[in-house]
Amino acid sequence: MTPPILTAKDLRKKFGDFEAVKGISFSVLRGEIFSLLGPNGAGKTTTINMLSCLLPPTSGTAEIAGHAIPGDTLAVRRAIGVVPQEIALYDSLSARQNLEFWGRLYDMRGQELTQRIDEVLDQVGLADRAKDKVKTFSGGMKRRINIAAGLLHKPQLLFMDEPTVGIDPQSRRRILDMVRELRDGGMTVLYTTHYMEEAEELSDRVGIIDQGRLIALGTQAELTRVVGEQETLRLHLAEEAGVALAGVNGTAGAPATMSADGSVALFSGLPGVLRASAVDHQIVVNVADAGAALPAVVGRANTAGLHVRSVDIEQPNLEAVFLHLTGRGLRD
Amino acid sequence: MLNKLTAIIRKDTALRFEGRSELLFFLILPLIFTFLIGGGLPAAGGGGDNRLLVPVADEDGSPRSAALLAALADGDVVRPEAMSRAEAEALLADEDAAAALIIPAGFGAALSADGLAAGQEAAVTLLVSPTSNVAPAIEGEVNRAVSALARPLLVARNATEGVAAVRPFADETARAAFFAAALAAAEAEAAPPARVVTEVAAGGNAYDQRAQASAGQLITWVFIPLLGASGLFVYERLMGTLRRLLTTPTRKSTFLLGAIGSQYLAALAQMAILVLFGVLVMRVPWGRDPVALIVVLATFGLAGVALGTALGTFVKTEGQASNLSIMLGMAMALLGGAWWPMELFPAGLQQIVRVLPTTWAMSALTDITMRGQGVADILPEAGVLLAFAAAFFLVGLWRFRYE
Repeated sequence: MTPPILTAKDLRKKFGDFEAVKGISFSVLRGEIFSLLGPNGAGKTTTINMLSCLLPPTSGTAEIAGHAIPGDTLAVRRAIGVVPQEIALYDSLSARQNLEFWGRLYDMRGQELTQRIDEVLDQVGLADRAKDKVKTFSGGMKRRINIAAGLLHKPQLLFMDEPTVGIDPQSRRRILDMVRELRDGGMTVLYTTHYMEEAEELSDRVGIIDQGRLIALGTQAELTRVVGEQETLRLHLAEEAGVALAGVNGTAGAPATMSADGSVALFSGLPGVLRASAVDHQIVVNVADAGAALPAVVGRANTAGLHVRSVDIEQPNLEAVFLHLTGRGLRD
Repeated sequence: MLNKLTAIIRKDTALRFEGRSELLFFLILPLIFTFLIGGGLPAAGGGGDNRLLVPVADEDGSPRSAALLAALADGDVVRPEAMSRAEAEALLADEDAAAALIIPAGFGAALSADGLAAGQEAAVTLLVSPTSNVAPAIEGEVNRAVSALARPLLVARNATEGVAAVRPFADETARAAFFAAALAAAEAEAAPPARVVTEVAAGGNAYDQRAQASAGQLITWVFIPLLGASGLFVYERLMGTLRRLLTTPTRKSTFLLGAIGSQYLAALAQMAILVLFGVLVMRVPWGRDPVALIVVLATFGLAGVALGTALGTFVKTEGQASNLSIMLGMAMALLGGAWWPMELFPAGLQQIVRVLPTTWAMSALTDITMRGQGVADILPEAGVLLAFAAAFFLVGLWRFRYE
């Protein structure tokens, strides 16, 4: 079995009375892309901050490439590269000046540094913009330089904290391809995201994190097994689901109500329906067989007076896993 | 560590001088202000004469009034310029002159033999501006000139009256002839009874506006950007680069040393340029004791950058840092005697401003340029500046937050 490059044991972080991370334990294997998937505020960035020695854990330990946290701060930092969520670059300096600065902080210099800067600029597709100031770049280009700065010293383990937030689809595609290339080149990547699609596309293994707890961990196949063979019917409504439900009539056995955790009772009792939840302008219905349950579900919605604009049928995915485990959608 | 320090210093320098406007504040404005305030331009209409302009309305037009004008012009304090009373009063009203002298008609006649014999009073009028603090100096200079003019006349008159009391003159012609002879003799002996020799203490120079301006402008223009170091820390925090920097194998102390070092080195370079400008263009005697000068500039720079570091822990935005550094820098330079000699401040204020590093720096710099003092003499000021630096650094390090 591939040895882990990172092992976290019961990591906790408290800010005053608020506990942002509540005892997280996991391992990242060498050469894999491991994603921490969870909604905003789940504790992903705090976890990364503890593992990159930016924040001391309130309790718990970790080990990265044989170096202990807390304890071997500088050795850990030498082994890792960090691509922060914000674009942490100097706008007034050129791409090359930025990379030269960050490279020197990793003790690189001279010909080795120059050569490596050329390589990573090539890798992120910005070799022709090396002399341009970062402030002249688009958001996607800045993201790519932001990543390049974390790659310069060829870290054993690269932390990428939501690296595609706020960029155009083309740049996102480029970054996702780059992450795979890095893994294929032998680098281990710990990737945090709240985009289920990214975690599904990239990850060898996924840890699902919510409200400071790691609630599931495994390969995508292992995780979807958690929700069984169930499929998902996604009913797209004309208005926000809670508002829509408040304006319609249910039946005695299936009232048009929504509980505090987002569960919807309207479809209770229908054959094959396992559960239903409201997410934004959608009602997500987990069913054993989508094809069999579809007529009854749509029929119940119409009878109640819900204006269903469209219906998607989805195979088991991480969204369904998250919904199954938390009763909420990833983007709640 | 050296590689990282160099990287941080190079980065900060590149960021600071990224825009051309920084050169304006780093170099161009300090040189211009030093030149102008140090008297680099000749006074208006004075042809390089920096004495105080005193418009004189000579309504008498006699040899005596001309002699009074000459006596005034002979001194080092005022530069009399003859003009009409209306012109003189206009200059005073416009605050282009601190005082105006009116020599009324009859002034010469009152100082003639007949006038003196008849006991006529010779008077001049000095109109002074209520807003000028140099009027007393002009008044003193006019009194000196009037006394110089009147003294031989009084001697001649007293001599003539004394002789007449013992042996009356045969007629007025004889009396006038005696008076003229006595006056000539008195004027020949007109040298003051005691000579005042002015010497500058301890081998220094006389007060020198160029030295005052060179030192004062150096302190002002170097101190403000040093306080601006506070903005650097805010910038790094807001941009997220400080957090990223702390995920690299770089110690916090290395970052702080680099960030502070870049500001300090820039300040040293700026001070070196301003000193060279002072020596080469303004002829300021900066080079009397180079070791003393280096000690003062080095400790002053440390105190400034330490204060900037401490301020950086109190401000939240770059705008706050910029405004605060300009406001504090200007106020501390002004109160430290960088703009005017400290002697012009009220005695109480002179004591209060000893809590400012600028006061000690200015004192040390004028010790070197004007008082001709050396390294041993400026050690107390340098020690106080170092103490300021230590105290500000302690506050800065205690309060510094990397998050």
